Amino acid sequence: MSSPALVIEHLRVDFPDVIAVNDLTLTMDAGDVCGLIGPNGAGKTTTMRAISGLQEFTRGSVRVSGHELASEPDELKRRLGFMPDFCPTYDQLTTSEFLEHFARAFDVPNRSKRIEECLELTWLTDKRDALCEGLSRGMKQRLVLAKTLLPNPQVLLLDEPASGLDPLGRIELRKILLQLRESGKAVLISSHILTELSGFCNKAAIMERGELVKFGTIADLGQQMSQRKMSVKWRADGDKAVELLKNSGAKNLETSAIGATFDFDGGTEGLDELLKTLVTQGVRVAEWRGVGDDLEQIFLQSGAKELM
Amino acid sequence: MKLSENPIFLTHKRLVHRGGVLAAVVIATLIGFSLLLGLFSSLSELHQSRWGFRSPAETGKIFYGWVIGVEIFMLVLLGANRVTRALQEDRKAGLWDSNRLTPLKPEQIVAGYWLAPALREFYMAVVLAGFGLLVVLFSHLPITLWLGTQTLIFSTALFCGLLGILFGMAAQKSSGALIFLAMFFFIPFSFVAPSRVLTNFLFPIYGIGNLFQIGEVERDWARMPELFGQPMPAILISLGLQAIIGWFIWRVLVRKTANPFQPLLLRWEAISIFSIMVFAQHALIWKVRTDWFRADVSEQLLAITHGGTLLVGLALLLLASRPPEQIRVEAMRLGLKSISDIFQRSSVSLALALGGVAAMAMTVQFSMHLPENFSGLIVTVVNLLMIFLTFTLLLEFCRLRHQRRALGFVALWLFVLVVVPLILGAVFASEEAAQVCLLAPGFLALTSVSAEKLPALHLANLVHFAVVVFLFIDWRRQWKKLLARAA
Repeated sequence: MSSPALVIEHLRVDFPDVIAVNDLTLTMDAGDVCGLIGPNGAGKTTTMRAISGLQEFTRGSVRVSGHELASEPDELKRRLGFMPDFCPTYDQLTTSEFLEHFARAFDVPNRSKRIEECLELTWLTDKRDALCEGLSRGMKQRLVLAKTLLPNPQVLLLDEPASGLDPLGRIELRKILLQLRESGKAVLISSHILTELSGFCNKAAIMERGELVKFGTIADLGQQMSQRKMSVKWRADGDKAVELLKNSGAKNLETSAIGATFDFDGGTEGLDELLKTLVTQGVRVAEWRGVGDDLEQIFLQSGAKELM
Repeated sequence: MKLSENPIFLTHKRLVHRGGVLAAVVIATLIGFSLLLGLFSSLSELHQSRWGFRSPAETGKIFYGWVIGVEIFMLVLLGANRVTRALQEDRKAGLWDSNRLTPLKPEQIVAGYWLAPALREFYMAVVLAGFGLLVVLFSHLPITLWLGTQTLIFSTALFCGLLGILFGMAAQKSSGALIFLAMFFFIPFSFVAPSRVLTNFLFPIYGIGNLFQIGEVERDWARMPELFGQPMPAILISLGLQAIIGWFIWRVLVRKTANPFQPLLLRWEAISIFSIMVFAQHALIWKVRTDWFRADVSEQLLAITHGGTLLVGLALLLLASRPPEQIRVEAMRLGLKSISDIFQRSSVSLALALGGVAAMAMTVQFSMHLPENFSGLIVTVVNLLMIFLTFTLLLEFCRLRHQRRALGFVALWLFVLVVVPLILGAVFASEEAAQVCLLAPGFLALTSVSAEKLPALHLANLVHFAVVVFLFIDWRRQWKKLLARAA
């Protein structure tokens, strides 16, 4: 059985007067995309810097594909790609020269071919000869991502990859990340914008003041949620529907002529039961869905208070 | 990995070339060409020269002096500054970390930053060196002058390049102006007796001056320097010192690149560098009282040696001292609890070690050549130890107590201990008050102080000892607090 792509055990990072990361433990397998969620100052960036070896940690261990950071840092460097939340580029180099620099540093075989592949993957082929200083913020983000992908790392750490991007840039980045997920990379991606992460994360890790307050698959975390905000729409029999909802324990019920929103704390099974009751009692349900995506709901119930 | 495959070297070379090197090379050519034409003109009108040159060799020395002056400015000063700036810019942009996350070896990263950013200055220096060779040949100067001076210039450029990287790693901003100011402050001291001051060999002012042999003007420039009384070519002393100190700096740079969370200097490195420099300086002033120097110059040399020892010691203590937070984290990791564990890791124990090395060097010097001033030796050694201990205790105490504002408080307390007694001494015309200055006893004891004034100096040392004890008690208390937090 192969080793998990990334194993972090009891990680602790101390700063003067504050424990930046405390007893963080998480595991990721190949193909996992884990959203590292938390408010500003929760310790997301410090965690990523500690995993990559840029930040000294007090206790704990980090293993990438079975290689320990403390004892085999060089092996780890070849298997792990870290994209920081800013764009470090040599402004006076062209994008292909910039990638060539790192391709040499990683001793990438078939350098030119791999550079072309990474430029293509990040849709920068037509910017091959453009100076880095002339690139927009979004293009620079993609260039740094291309640099991170050059050595074909098994684990990717992406720190706020969409910060400062315009809507189009975010859509492009989302497509790239979906491609990475399909290619079997383990991706740990931090963000405080939940809509960025929803849709392609299969795991979530929620941090608050250096502590990991929740970690698991989105499905498992969804199961654990004590309360969900739901929306229902109907074609007819609205009065009956409202009555049934009230009787089934729906809270904060807000109704309109065609539907209602409500909070429900009966868990997933309770929700299934409620829907069944509505349908069997003759309510013609046109739509039945959770309000906000799963990640947002998981976050809101995690205990992490402030999301900026 | 060869240099031609080193990505850091190649990228910075590319950046230098992209910025343009042709103009720089043309400027160097024009300077060299002008000086060569000047030489030809002076040689053709040797006897009517308004500069009063008496021979082609004398004329050649002047023009070659200009050539190497420009070369030193370009390669050594601008080159080192360029290296520092390249590193600081890359650190600021996050590229230093990006490079550290690649499988490149730390040696390769350091070598890239060491050799590439100053390539433009290197090209200019090579052009000037070529013109220098022509000047030497046409003015019938010995080729060894060219060979020796060029060797020293290029070795110094490499040495200063390493210092440039060290500065780039340690400092956030370029402080070229500060270094120039410091140089102008210290240069006059190094010219009291040029062949006897270490800095003239580390930065080979004496070696180059010695090769020119302008000994008729000033005797000390023409003689061969001595180490422990044995004559030794100046060029060898310079190259040896640069190689040894440079090797230590290289080690530091490689280690810091591999793991930036370590202190800049390890304890044994700080002690080794200090020992080499202190013993080399004492070797240069060997037989200082029995040699051909005047008594006042001898005293000045002893004071310069003492001042240099203090300066190097304090600089090393500053570089080797670890922030208390790092020690606290280590204490947590290793489960250290006692204050003796902390003492071993703090710079206070290093201060004691450096004080011991300096005391040893001075004792050897005094027992061989100045046995009559043994009381002066004791006052100086104790004072030196008090200065080192006061500085490290203050530094660590302020870091523990005031954290980010620590340096400001260190400066304040040093002002109180060093400058305030001098001000009081001047205001009240009181010699006793001035002697309480932390620096005073050592310097005073090295001059011809009369026997009746020695008790006052011992008393000043006693006052400083009381300050050290007081600081130690508070230092210990602060550490205990921090350890309690770590637990």
